[in-house]
Amino acid sequence: MRIIHLLFIFSFISAQWSSESAFLLEKGRKEVGLFTPFRMGMENGSELSVNKFLMMPSVSIKQGMSMYNSWKMARIFRVEYPTPGLKWLQSPLGKEMGDPNMFSLISTQFSIPQMLSFYSEIIGTTGNINSGQLSLSAGIGVALNGKNLSDDATIDLPIIYPRLSIYYNDFIIKSGGQYYRKFTDSFYYLIDYDMYLMPGGRGRYAFEQQGLAVWQKSNTFRLSFGYKLIAGEYPFGAQAHFLPTINIQFGW
Amino acid sequence: MKTTYFLFALIITLFISGCDPLVTTFDDTEDAVLYQSNLIKEFPAKKSISVMTWNVRFGVARLDFALDACGDRVIISKSEVITGLEGIANKIKNDDIDIVLMQEVDVQSKRSSYVDQAQWLLNNTDLNYGAYASKWKSQIILADGIGRVDAGNLILSKWKLEDAKRHQLPLRGDQDGITQLFYLRRNVLSAKVNMPGTPFYAVNGHLTAFATDDTKQKHISGFKSILDDIVANGFSFVAGGDLNAIPPNATKTDYCLEDQCEVGTYHSGKEPEHKEGAYFKEEITWLNDLYGSYEPAISLEQYGMNETKHYTHSPGGKLELDRKLDYLWTNTAWSNGVTHQDATKLSDHMPVTANWTVK
Repeated sequence: MRIIHLLFIFSFISAQWSSESAFLLEKGRKEVGLFTPFRMGMENGSELSVNKFLMMPSVSIKQGMSMYNSWKMARIFRVEYPTPGLKWLQSPLGKEMGDPNMFSLISTQFSIPQMLSFYSEIIGTTGNINSGQLSLSAGIGVALNGKNLSDDATIDLPIIYPRLSIYYNDFIIKSGGQYYRKFTDSFYYLIDYDMYLMPGGRGRYAFEQQGLAVWQKSNTFRLSFGYKLIAGEYPFGAQAHFLPTINIQFGW
Repeated sequence: MKTTYFLFALIITLFISGCDPLVTTFDDTEDAVLYQSNLIKEFPAKKSISVMTWNVRFGVARLDFALDACGDRVIISKSEVITGLEGIANKIKNDDIDIVLMQEVDVQSKRSSYVDQAQWLLNNTDLNYGAYASKWKSQIILADGIGRVDAGNLILSKWKLEDAKRHQLPLRGDQDGITQLFYLRRNVLSAKVNMPGTPFYAVNGHLTAFATDDTKQKHISGFKSILDDIVANGFSFVAGGDLNAIPPNATKTDYCLEDQCEVGTYHSGKEPEHKEGAYFKEEITWLNDLYGSYEPAISLEQYGMNETKHYTHSPGGKLELDRKLDYLWTNTAWSNGVTHQDATKLSDHMPVTANWTVK
């Protein structure tokens, strides 16, 4: 059970809204990663993505758009329901305040309201994997009922803070980019960045830059590892973090 | 179970820490963090210096904080913290204190809405300079939603502070490794007060409250040895702090029933029999060495004649003071030692002041 707790917390690290390309999974193909959502190519030429950790349910749909010059274009719509996940983070082991309530990331003094968030994003990709594939993205998100969540109930940690900030701030702007290139037959490298702007929030920005080496043994297994550099502002001030990242993905 | 917790915390540590350590640990002795007011006032040397020790409970006054007061809150709003600090600053200004030895000061803690209390107090009193030493510094405390914390001891002075050092005290010996990693790192803070013509040392300690082994005895010994070194080097000192120990002639030594959050938790025949930090019977002699070597602001005779007048503490929201934990010491002499019980709504500890005669 505690492994599930662990995976849930770290699912934030590579969860939704990390940079990706405008290409869609082919019809019927499915992919899932240790820290990434379940994705599936749909009959109608779109791609469905579902967070596999049901306490933080989210669903997104990626749809292809018409080409813009040499750019392959796509749009993503996503809806997320964070309430059960945030409540779980108040007491992951079911303890009460002072027991101590181990691994609690949000004090139980705060009530977590029913909230929803909606994201919309556009992605453009140019080039190819052999000579280098560049993707750029931009999007916005809005939250419903976040005003009933205390501004003091934040989790002031890298990765997590900007991804939950929408519920404290009602609004977020995000842009990103990714460069992905084949290195050898089975090795690839990926460099990406994500910029989160949270106007009016206690932490107003987060910049994340990631470098990954990817080993793709076949179409069914992919291992990636690298680093993530995060510079962001939090309610206590600005801080930078340098974190190791790893992910295992399966496809079929 | 503990192994699982350890692995859980270790992995979180690896992911979250990066360049900055998740939990800050300290060398045996290292430089303290220096502060100064945004407006420096000039103060001439004095013949009699007013000194205060005060555990200010991170500016939250008597609010029901969960971890020391059976309350149900761990995050206190900024406006509540500022209100608490205003009460503390007014007390310091009204009593015209020259040197303050302060414990439980937050400089970057989520529980107190990230108010840098050291800087705030300097900017809102007549004191000019500060030296700070963390006793609890972590990017996150994985319990109760406490979050980020940087709390510790602070010396405030009208005169410039130099050679400010943080002296690490032994960690609690009665905790498992993972609890100890995230727990308090008690210390003694010392600084040379550069008063023109007569430099002297200010020493501030906040010793363990809850250890059930001999850690408190080691802390008292460590505190005294720092004072001994200052005297051996030819300087005088004013020292003080929350020693979390009661005087050797205290008539009451057991506070388990007063401090319990739920009736029947202690003295019920079940383990533990006594509440951590509330049972002093077996440690009642541990301050004898300090009393025998140095001059207290409140002598044992004064204390023994009217104990209640010198009580400095009652837990949480209980306003009726019931024990003395806070002390001032010097190697020379004090006059006018006072326990300020009028401050009972400003913190769970009362300030103790005395005038130190410069020799």
